[in-house]
This record gives sequence, structure tokens and C-alpha cells, in this order.
Amino acid sequence: MISRHQRIVFWCLVGCILAMGTLLFVERQRARDRIVALADATPLDAPYSTTESVTLDLANDSDGSITATTRPIALPGEVTARARALLEHLLAEYALPGSPHPLQSGAAVDDVFLLPLPLVGHSGGTTAATSTLIASNDPNALQPQNPGGELAVINLRSSFVNAHPSGVEVESLTLMSIIGTLHTNLPQIEQIRFLVDGQPRETLAGHADLLRTYPSKDTTARAETSVAP
Amino acid sequence: MNLAKKSATACLLAIATHLCSAQTPTTPAQISAAQKSTAATPTLPASPFNRTTVLLDPAHGGSDSGSRISDSILEKDITLALAFKLRSLLAARGFTVVMTRDSDAATQADTPNPLTLDDRAGIANRAHPAACLLLHATAAGNGVHIYRSELEPIPNEVNGTSWLTAQAAWVTQSEKLQKLLGQALTRARVPLVLSRASVRPVDSLTCPALVVELAPKGSDSSSLTNESYQQHVAGAIAAALVFWQNQAQPPVRLAPLPTTPTPKKGVQP
Ligand SMILES: [Zn+2]
Repeated sequence: MISRHQRIVFWCLVGCILAMGTLLFVERQRARDRIVALADATPLDAPYSTTESVTLDLANDSDGSITATTRPIALPGEVTARARALLEHLLAEYALPGSPHPLQSGAAVDDVFLLPLPLVGHSGGTTAATSTLIASNDPNALQPQNPGGELAVINLRSSFVNAHPSGVEVESLTLMSIIGTLHTNLPQIEQIRFLVDGQPRETLAGHADLLRTYPSKDTTARAETSVAP
Repeated sequence: MNLAKKSATACLLAIATHLCSAQTPTTPAQISAAQKSTAATPTLPASPFNRTTVLLDPAHGGSDSGSRISDSILEKDITLALAFKLRSLLAARGFTVVMTRDSDAATQADTPNPLTLDDRAGIANRAHPAACLLLHATAAGNGVHIYRSELEPIPNEVNGTSWLTAQAAWVTQSEKLQKLLGQALTRARVPLVLSRASVRPVDSLTCPALVVELAPKGSDSSSLTNESYQQHVAGAIAAALVFWQNQAQPPVRLAPLPTTPTPKKGVQP
């Protein structure tokens, strides 16, 4: 016959075993969740660096000038995302009230593609429009000046282009501001082309040529003289 | 199990990266043929150059109204009005003025087809004028904006140059004319922007060529239609062109270079 206190000890031990088992199971579950969470490296947001001092080449309609201005901006590290974010910040400056080169607010740049130069294996597209994207009469076009030179293709949104003010000065200032800003911040870009909603377009708003390949260069202080009214 | 999965993924990634890098083009840039000596190249007789002819191109016209300056003001009407003022001022100073259009609709000769930008350049080039002024108007900025081509200047005109770079031999002349117009407008106390821009068809013109854009006098864009403002600007431009007709110097024409077989670039399927 088992004594009563032996039975109590037995059931106590059984209780302890069950409690420890449950604790073990819960802890194991938690540890597994933690490891799964660590292993899940799906990028949900572009990895933004901390704010850095970025040079934007800002246009001014009243004297036709382009002035380098630094702004504290957080930009992603990846180069095409960086180019796109740079241009969005630049064009957003022009939508601010009191801008010296007023443009409509809203998203302006759909994508920026960076293609290594020289472009090889290209051919005329199925339509004349797509072949003019790549074809150029200049034998030096689409050839790199330095090894690692890239062609930037900037795909603008039609909503931005259709709302752009029309005029030789105002249109060419927008292009020069974009070109100068890319030149300053991404020196590997040597040549720049523009598309609108993925298609070549003749002009920005009736004047500035959007079909040609622009060399990436410093565009600050382009206007040579101006006098106060 | 997990470890196996991970290593398999890593392997796949490594293979993919390797394949990508293998596709990156590694062929070096083909260096274009070196600049050839022009010493042996025969010069051609200079093309006709009419010192007393000025070409005026009132931009836009017809269905192309250009920039919409306000609900009632269109760019195409301002450019035409400015061109008429310039024409009478220049005619009074002994110039022959050729205009690409003298009514609202710009059409090709004897046809209802609208005039393309290349057609306008053709009219300009056939006239062999001492100056080609492409007139525009805008509500942005103020005063007058004068642009020359963005092409890099070349010293001589090579017979048979490309249509899209024909202006290159004339850029130096265009720059001199730009300075002269700038000085005249500065004397007339008109705010000024002198720069370079890519606006078709300026690069196809074989004459000293400028884009002249009329912007509002102050901040009020309705000043664009102001007769006395237009007359004031036209007067300054006409005075500069009187100086210009004796200074203009057409570039030396060279016979075409012997054609060199250009290396075929890229794969043409
Ligand atoms: Zn215009």
C-alpha cells in the first residue's frame, strides 16, 4: 500500500513535469518566431541613409540662371533609386510657393534607367518611334568618355510634361537643372535621354528638344549676361 | 532542412549573379577616326551670302498655337505681330526680309500642308541670309531671351554635313550676332538672358541663327501684346542688324572628306 504522502509527492512531480513541458514548448515557439523574423529580409522600404548634404542645381526664370544649392536630403543608396529620388526632390523644389521657376506639383519622374556605355546590340525598334530612342547620327554618341560611363534614361510622367509651362527659356532651364543635378551627384552618368510615359516625345512643351542625347555637364551660370529691369 | 533550403538559395543567387556579370558588355569603346588634316582638302567657292537679307521665322502658326499665354493671348499671334514690326523696320533700313509665314497658318508653298520645322529651315537656308531670327514668346521670365545652338563650333563648313548639325560651322557667327543683339537690347534697357538651347530647327540652319524669345516687360504677361513694347524691342534688334550686315563673315566651305568606312557598331538582327 502506497502511503498518502508518497502519492502527494508523485502528483506534485507530475504537475512539475507538465508545467516544465508547457514552458519548454512556449519558449521554443517564441525562439522560432524570433529566428524567422530575423531571417525575413524582404526589403519593404528602400534602405535610406541618414540625411546628407545634396547639391541641387536650381533654375531661376527671371535671369535664366542655374545656381548650385545644397539641401539636407535623405537619399537611398541604390544608384537608380538615388537618381530618381534626387530628381523628385529637385522638381518638388519648383512646386514650392514663391519658386523662381514655378512648376506644377506632383510626381514627375516615373523611372530612371542607367545603361552602361557603349550601348551594344541595339537595333531599330519595331516602330520608327522606338528606333529614334537609340539611333543617333553622331558617331560619338552613346560612346563612353571614361570606362564605366553610363547613359541615364529619364522616363518623365506625361502629367508633369503636359502641365509644364511653355517657352524656350523655361523648358530648357528645366532640362539644364535636371542635367546639372545628375552631373553633380552621379558623375558616372555621361549622357542623358528623356522619355515621356515610356515613349519618345519631340519637345518638353513645344520648344526644348527631348529627342536628342544630352551630354551630362555642369549647367550652372549658363546665362551669360542679364541686366536688371 | 532550413539550412539545406538556405544553402540552395545561396547557390542559386551566386549562379544568377555570375550569369548577370557575364552579360555585361566588355568590348572597349571604338575610338572614332582621328581628326584628319584639312590641309589637303580643296576649298569650295563660297556659297551665296546675302548681306542685306534677313530671315524672320514667326514660330508656330495655324493649329500649333505655341505657348498659351492667357485665355485670349496665344504665342503664335505675338510672334507674327513682332515679325511684322521687325519687317517694316528692316525694310526701311534697306533689308530684304524673308518670312516663313505672313499669315496665321503656316503652309508649304501652294499646298494646304502645314509647314514643318524642317520646311522652315529649308526656306531659311535657301535665302542665304545674313541673319536668321526664330521668334518666340513666353509668359515665363521677363525681357528678351536670346539663344544660340548648343552645337560645338567647327571652323569650316564641310560640304555634305548632316542636316542635324549644319549650324555647327555657323555657331561662331551666331555667337557674335547674339552679343551684338545683347548689347543693343541692353542699351535699350530691356532685361536680357543670353544662353544656349536645343530648340529645333536651329541646328539645321546654315546662317547666323538665333532664337529670340519675347517675355513680358515686367511681371504682367499682357505686356507681350503691348504695341510700344514690341516696337521698342524690334527697334533695338533692327539697329543691331544694321551693324551686323557688315560684320557677318560666312565660314569657309571645304569639299567633303573622303569617306572612310565606319566600323559597324552593334549587332543588327
Ligand atoms: Zn514658341
